[in-house]
Amino acid sequence: MSFLHDYAYYIGAFGLIFIGLLVVLAKHNLIKVIIGLSILDTGINLFLISVGYLRNGTAPIFSRPGLDASGMVDPVPQALVLTAIVIGVAVLALALGIAVRLYREFGTLDLRKIKELRW
Amino acid sequence: MRTVFAIVLLAVVGLGIGLALLDVPFGAPKTGIGDYYIEHGREETGAANTVTAVVVGYRAFDTLGEVTVLFVAALGLGAVLAATGGGSEKREVEPASLVLLTGSRFLFPLIMLFGAYVFLHGHLTPGGGFQGGAVVASAFLLLYLGSRGRRVSRTWSTATEALGGLVFVVLGLVGLAVGGGYFLSNFMPTGALNTLLSAGVIPVIYAAIGFKVGSELAGVIHDLVEET
Amino acid sequence: MVSPALLVAVPLGLAFCVPLVGLASRKAARFVPIVACLFNLIVSLRLIPHAIEQPIVANMGGFTPPFSITLFAGPLGLILSALIALAGFVVSIYAVAYIDKGSTTRYHTLFLLLLVGATGVVLTGDIFNLFVFFEILCISSYALVAYLGDRGGLEAAAKYLIQGAIGSGLLLTGIGLLYGLTGTLNMASIAASVGSIGTVSVFVPMALIIAGLGVEAAIFPLNAWLPDAHSSAPSTISAILSGIAIEVGLYAVVRVVFTMFGASSMLLFLVFLGTLTLLVGEMCAFAQSNVKRMLAYSSIGQIGLILFAISIASSASIAGGLFQLITHTLSKVVLFLAVGYMIYRSGSTEISSLEGIGKRMPVTSMAFVVAAFSLVGLPPFAGFPSKFMIVRAAVAEGGALFLVLVALVLVGTVIEGAYFFRVIQAIFFKKRDEKPARHEAPVAALVPILVVVVLIIALGVYPDAITGALNSAASELLERAHYVRSVLG
Repeated sequence: MSFLHDYAYYIGAFGLIFIGLLVVLAKHNLIKVIIGLSILDTGINLFLISVGYLRNGTAPIFSRPGLDASGMVDPVPQALVLTAIVIGVAVLALALGIAVRLYREFGTLDLRKIKELRW
Repeated sequence: MRTVFAIVLLAVVGLGIGLALLDVPFGAPKTGIGDYYIEHGREETGAANTVTAVVVGYRAFDTLGEVTVLFVAALGLGAVLAATGGGSEKREVEPASLVLLTGSRFLFPLIMLFGAYVFLHGHLTPGGGFQGGAVVASAFLLLYLGSRGRRVSRTWSTATEALGGLVFVVLGLVGLAVGGGYFLSNFMPTGALNTLLSAGVIPVIYAAIGFKVGSELAGVIHDLVEET
Repeated sequence: MVSPALLVAVPLGLAFCVPLVGLASRKAARFVPIVACLFNLIVSLRLIPHAIEQPIVANMGGFTPPFSITLFAGPLGLILSALIALAGFVVSIYAVAYIDKGSTTRYHTLFLLLLVGATGVVLTGDIFNLFVFFEILCISSYALVAYLGDRGGLEAAAKYLIQGAIGSGLLLTGIGLLYGLTGTLNMASIAASVGSIGTVSVFVPMALIIAGLGVEAAIFPLNAWLPDAHSSAPSTISAILSGIAIEVGLYAVVRVVFTMFGASSMLLFLVFLGTLTLLVGEMCAFAQSNVKRMLAYSSIGQIGLILFAISIASSASIAGGLFQLITHTLSKVVLFLAVGYMIYRSGSTEISSLEGIGKRMPVTSMAFVVAAFSLVGLPPFAGFPSKFMIVRAAVAEGGALFLVLVALVLVGTVIEGAYFFRVIQAIFFKKRDEKPARHEAPVAALVPILVVVVLIIALGVYPDAITGALNSAASELLERAHYVRSVLG
């Protein structure tokens, strides 16, 4: 039980990654696949943040003089996740744009039916 | 069949990651670059917010790349939606209710103000260029949802977007020329900690990013709305 | 001596200028990528002699590594940066006339940003920075594959995007794990501290990172997206994707395996994977009737060959692999650019529709033949010294296993020769009944093609011009301690 409590963030992050990957690999509606990508991104970002956590730590902002530097969480994963969120949004935006055009051209969002290209 | 295969693959990957994670205990103090940044971030960059010091000071090159990624996505979206703007079946857009109309006109400047506050104070409080830019773009989204026919001028939004990015690159090149020969070095005076005009070039970069991201996301919203 | 940061900063600044220029004049915006690529080509070539003596390390922001992002401009990075600039320069001159539909300003901006991303990947010394620039490369290529807006292009872009996004997710997970284990993001720091962590804990992030990068590098079995994407994109983009994007992905894999992890245990596995990729690519190419799809599968085969050569990990084999990389880029660029106008004139991408086009477009067809011969490895073109170096180095490794693999590589080469000869036969030796009128491709397209053809012949006749630099690049990959010392001091 304590294991679950200690590692809750890791388990939650991996749960999200697992669900996201499963949706992307197994679903054939393009919008569902894109939602799966979004869940995957969220899971990875959560995992990155939890790597930097310090038990009972505070935010690394020196808003008052004399704050204790040793009680602060690691700022680097937060910077990494900032970048990763933006990159995730960018990919999602492009994917949705392509989905809009695909729907206009093919009339369907079912990936099994979008098979214009022969082998 | 594909689902079964996917589940097996994921189970193997998950097991591997779990084994590796036994070496990364959750919540334990870590030694590495994080400690250095917390200790020295204030003197070297002048920013009270260590995350900003990392994002725009130590790892500013990554932020330049991130800004570029968003630029690429906005351009890509525009290119994909622009190719042969065919079907102009003008869908009947239901006019917004009175509450939305009045509310959006009232809230628009307030949201913009809040967004500007977030990106200007990135070095003092949690926030920064990307967060502030996203808030500004949400003001534009509210505008599109509320007002009939009020649109952002696509020329202005493209120009602001490009200028924001250009300012960032130019500041980096000035740092190369002036501040001791390193790209993106902090060449402006650091000022007193916790004041608005501190941290040298960081608030300027964040302001440029804020304008860029705001106009970029507004452009994306415009493209998606106008795609018919 | 200029800072290598300019190789990324100046084209990026010019890329931000393209929309501004485009607002003023759509015609002027087409020339900005040409200027940027020329700048990069000149600066990269100027820096190579310095880098051969001592790799140039530039710290962004002036902070000491590992607390800053370092750009490591060694001989390998600068050679690839020069190659990227050359290919970009040639293709953007061709694209001035070839790209005339759709939002052309956006096309040229995206094109330049793709090259910026590629240059950033080959020059960086920081793993998260690699991820960011890799994403710039990937996302601009997703958008450019869909640029024409036709059904095939959109389908190919959607599938490419989904697979690429999964790959990026795996890459980011691996980087996160690696940060958790080592506490740093600088490649040299990770190389120094990776020995002190248990083997399983190091193996997992390495596998994730290689899998993530392998999607873009088109290593079997992660290359399902490639034939669709490279054949449905406009020909200029096919040339850049086959000539640069997958090579840069392969560089990233090689850099991670050799320099960051020093994983000599992975190398044998990569040798097998390379051979498998080669055979699958060449055999699938043989079965194609669509010429662009055939060229796309040929790219898969060549990437397999380059991976095979580099994974043998001797100085001669790595130099041969890099030479093959350069040959492949130059040849594929010519092939796709020549095919671009051939398809435009004949109206279809089937090989059968190219019959007799040798009479109508003699110069373009000759360029195609030169590039095809070079790719197969016939003298006096550039492909011959590169393939010869690879085979010789593989045989010198000794042992029955390598002889078998070399035999398989030669089988792949024979298959390659067969399908290229089929196309050449159609172009020159099949006759059509109507009297063909000479209708050559425009001069603006022929000039860049011929420049690269001359380069292919020059490298074939005088390969020693670059073997010195290639040997330095090979030793940069093999000498990990030297890399760590150059960055961390």
